[in-house]
Amino acid sequence: MNGNGNGNGNGNGRSHRPGGKGLVSAKAQPNGKAHVSGNGRAPVGGPGGATPPNDYAEGVLDARLGRPALDVLEATVVLEAWTGAPAASAMSVAPDLVSSEYRVRDGNINLEASEDREQQSVIAEGLTLVLSIISVAAWATPLSKDYGPHVLAHAIRFALPIAVALQWGLRSRYLGRRGALAIFARDGIAFCALAMLVVELPLALIHRSGPIAATLVAIWVGGTIVSRRGWGLVYACALVAATIALDDGSPANLVLGSLTAFTLIVCVVGVLTRRDSTDERAGSIPRALLATLLGGCIGALLVSDPSLGWGVRGLHPAISLLPSVIGSFWGGYYLWNLYDVIPRGLSGMPLASASSATMRGPAMSIFIGAMARLLGATVVLSAIVMLAGRWTHGSDQTSLFIAFAGVALVSLLIGLLESLALRRAALIAAAAAVAAEFAWYNLATHWGIHWHIAGAALVVGATVGVLFSLPPLIRRLARSGNALATTLWIQ
Amino acid sequence: MSTPSEVVVPLVREVVPSPPEAAGFESIAPADPVLVPAVAEPRAVGSATHAARSRVLIVTEGTYPYAVGGVSSWCDAVIGGLGHIDWDILPIVAGGKRLRQNFTLPENARLLRPIELWSEDAPPRRAGRLHRGREETTLPTQLLRGLIPWEGSLPDLTAALIRCRQRPQAVRREFRDSSSWEEFLHALVEVLAANNDQTAPAPVYDTIEAARLYQTLYWVARTAAVPTPECSLLHVTAAGWAAIPALAHKAIHGTPLLLTEHGVYVREAYLASVNNAAVSLGQRHISTRLALGLTRAAYAAADMIAPVTEANAEWERGLGVSADKIRVIPNGIQPPRDWTAPPNAKKVIAMGRIDPLKDVQTMLLVADEVIRRMPSARFEYWGPATSGQEQYARACARMHEQLGLGERFRFMGRTSDPHGVIRDGDVVLMTSISEAMPMALLEAMAQARPAVATSVGGVPGVLRGCGLIAAPGDVHGLATAVVSLLGDPNLAATLGRRGFDRVHRRYTLERCVASYRDLIGELVGVAA
Repeated sequence: MNGNGNGNGNGNGRSHRPGGKGLVSAKAQPNGKAHVSGNGRAPVGGPGGATPPNDYAEGVLDARLGRPALDVLEATVVLEAWTGAPAASAMSVAPDLVSSEYRVRDGNINLEASEDREQQSVIAEGLTLVLSIISVAAWATPLSKDYGPHVLAHAIRFALPIAVALQWGLRSRYLGRRGALAIFARDGIAFCALAMLVVELPLALIHRSGPIAATLVAIWVGGTIVSRRGWGLVYACALVAATIALDDGSPANLVLGSLTAFTLIVCVVGVLTRRDSTDERAGSIPRALLATLLGGCIGALLVSDPSLGWGVRGLHPAISLLPSVIGSFWGGYYLWNLYDVIPRGLSGMPLASASSATMRGPAMSIFIGAMARLLGATVVLSAIVMLAGRWTHGSDQTSLFIAFAGVALVSLLIGLLESLALRRAALIAAAAAVAAEFAWYNLATHWGIHWHIAGAALVVGATVGVLFSLPPLIRRLARSGNALATTLWIQ
Repeated sequence: MSTPSEVVVPLVREVVPSPPEAAGFESIAPADPVLVPAVAEPRAVGSATHAARSRVLIVTEGTYPYAVGGVSSWCDAVIGGLGHIDWDILPIVAGGKRLRQNFTLPENARLLRPIELWSEDAPPRRAGRLHRGREETTLPTQLLRGLIPWEGSLPDLTAALIRCRQRPQAVRREFRDSSSWEEFLHALVEVLAANNDQTAPAPVYDTIEAARLYQTLYWVARTAAVPTPECSLLHVTAAGWAAIPALAHKAIHGTPLLLTEHGVYVREAYLASVNNAAVSLGQRHISTRLALGLTRAAYAAADMIAPVTEANAEWERGLGVSADKIRVIPNGIQPPRDWTAPPNAKKVIAMGRIDPLKDVQTMLLVADEVIRRMPSARFEYWGPATSGQEQYARACARMHEQLGLGERFRFMGRTSDPHGVIRDGDVVLMTSISEAMPMALLEAMAQARPAVATSVGGVPGVLRGCGLIAAPGDVHGLATAVVSLLGDPNLAATLGRRGFDRVHRRYTLERCVASYRDLIGELVGVAA
């Protein structure tokens, strides 16, 4: 590091000024009581030290810093700490050790390793949701037989938005953090009591479909916690066992009840036997509430299109949801690199370019990459499901896959808006999507227009959501330096 | 304990006129009509009962009442010892962690909601004030100009802090505004280009470092935006982040400000920067310049500065504080009445966190040499690793293993009985590269144990005549001193006894509290 590019010609990059001016009132101690010997050591038993000679002081600086001092205070501190010289003495020498012409340089940009907590959380959540969707798809027929198709459809329409809302809220406050379960454990009882009182109890009171919805919410939300614990396999096995039992004709109430009890017990055991302990605090309540609301909107978007007969037509449409969910989680997982890739991409970028707009900047690259993954995976997996649908129960309507891809996209974008603390934009986009879906369906009905396209209202809602989400995101992300300074790091 | 509504603010301006050093703070507030303080009109001193009790806002940084340590103990002693004062405690802490209160507050103290830096909590809002029109975009630039240049602009800083306090809801919006960032970048280029003869040219910042500085200034603004209660004195316990709420308060209300410096904030910031090899020069520049800017502002605004040792006062004078504004008030300790002789067990005790500033690696080398020269010697190191210095602690453990010290040098962890631990030893050893007035040395002296220490900060002054000192990092010198004391129990006992007497003479808690009683009394102008 030393000596690169110094311009003052003295060979070591420092200008020696015999009458070097110190700090405002820095003066050598007139009666320095102790003495620093030639080797820099104070005699045992004597307090303090005197002004270190310049060549010795330079040696100490070189040894400790590996470069010239940035300013007189840095030089003073080093001399004081490593020679034992009193502050005033060190201050009097320091000005001679600093060159006002030589620029100290390094290429040593330190970037902290990114935290993988959010990514772990996204994977766990994604896995759980995929398992849940597969289970709903597989249970549709047996549950319809037991409860009747309309009751099951109603139950899913209640359960899905509530479960997604709770999952978003849980992730924001607890599960998206490093010490997820330890943090959750602190509020666990209060959270469960609140969930029982505010969600499960009122839900269970709804005639016929309510109890089924309540069990589904418990199974799906509990599954999120179990997966975050790292016991996703246990949860998957329980779902498979329940599916087999239902297929064998076991009573639906018994199977769902047992599965709920099992999930909740595993959940409690998982939290109680967690390995981590942490002082980390839970996320802020207002932010968690906002996340819950946004999750609820995404869930509402999913179930508000009456053309989707949840549970009525066998595997359709639950299995159609699978490609977009997998695509969404792949895209979302990639998107969490924002926090790592943007700083790395900007490392070494001069200030003059700090705000230049470019689609090739690190922020836009990540964003476009995430969208490409989401859409690519959804298209490929949708094609596979459509092919498979020819010999299953007919989940092959292209509009359905487009609708769910739209929901996945809007979910990703709203999640990103929320994580960038663009809360108002996230809320507006979510609300606009739901409102557009409602409006489309109701207006079409009012005007007597009958679209025989499954998921048309959902396509409209999702499109509106995407249109509302994209501009604020692109405006922020197109200028990576700006995005880092004003958005990622100012929350 | 009186409620806030019972508090009557004394006529501060009449009693203690603001000093000329605080010109930056006086000149701004009256000049700008926007800055007319909402509660600036000093109320007349009411009844004698009211006048007798003052309310002091004490701002702590990472210490009382959540952390255990010298500063926290001092806070507890002063607050508890000055029962005639009502204290509001405003802690500033690192966010994201659960806070555990380690001290039970005395009845005359009230804990305010802590300011959590770098947390995800939303910034404070003032009800009923809606945002109208386009925000200004000058806040980041003003803070930059006030804090980061070698000699920052106090008027800029003061104006920015006042604006944060009066319009807290605007802080986040302004920092998230792209125009603010643009203006900030232009100003930063100018600030970095400025030259003076006490600094090398500033390192070349990249965009990351600029964004990091921008983020840091945002937290300065948020800290300034936190409302502070009405009080008759602001007592700041460090010239860094803790000074920010007090600076804003003083700029608006003109309340006198007392600064106690246990360590010199700017010096510690520089030391931390020097000790952290993993950061870029730009980051060093940011952290040290911010500390310098905050320190200069705190010094300028303070009506009185009370360092705990003359060594700190040297720094303060070196940074331009006039000598008549400095009053050294050493820390105090409650010593036992009787002294005991060292047990002659050849045991050396070290107390302190495992931290680079304590130079534990030098201590291990000292132990190695002492044990070679005196195989019966044993060392015990009491104290946990500093949070964030776990890697250093691991390096120390590796070094311990490489030196083969085994059971002859043991890391003991925390203790709840520091007095007993010290009494069980013959010598107390301290190898720090930075100290102000270490409580461990006072503890050693109070227990009549001689100390061997490095000649840093206030150590030579405290230890005069009752211990041996050597230069920092002087392994041979320190080892020789330890061997001398372990090998000569009479010398050890004599030095220990001298230390015991010295503590009783100069460093008692009563003396420390009485000094603060007088100083606070002078500043608030109320008979204390």
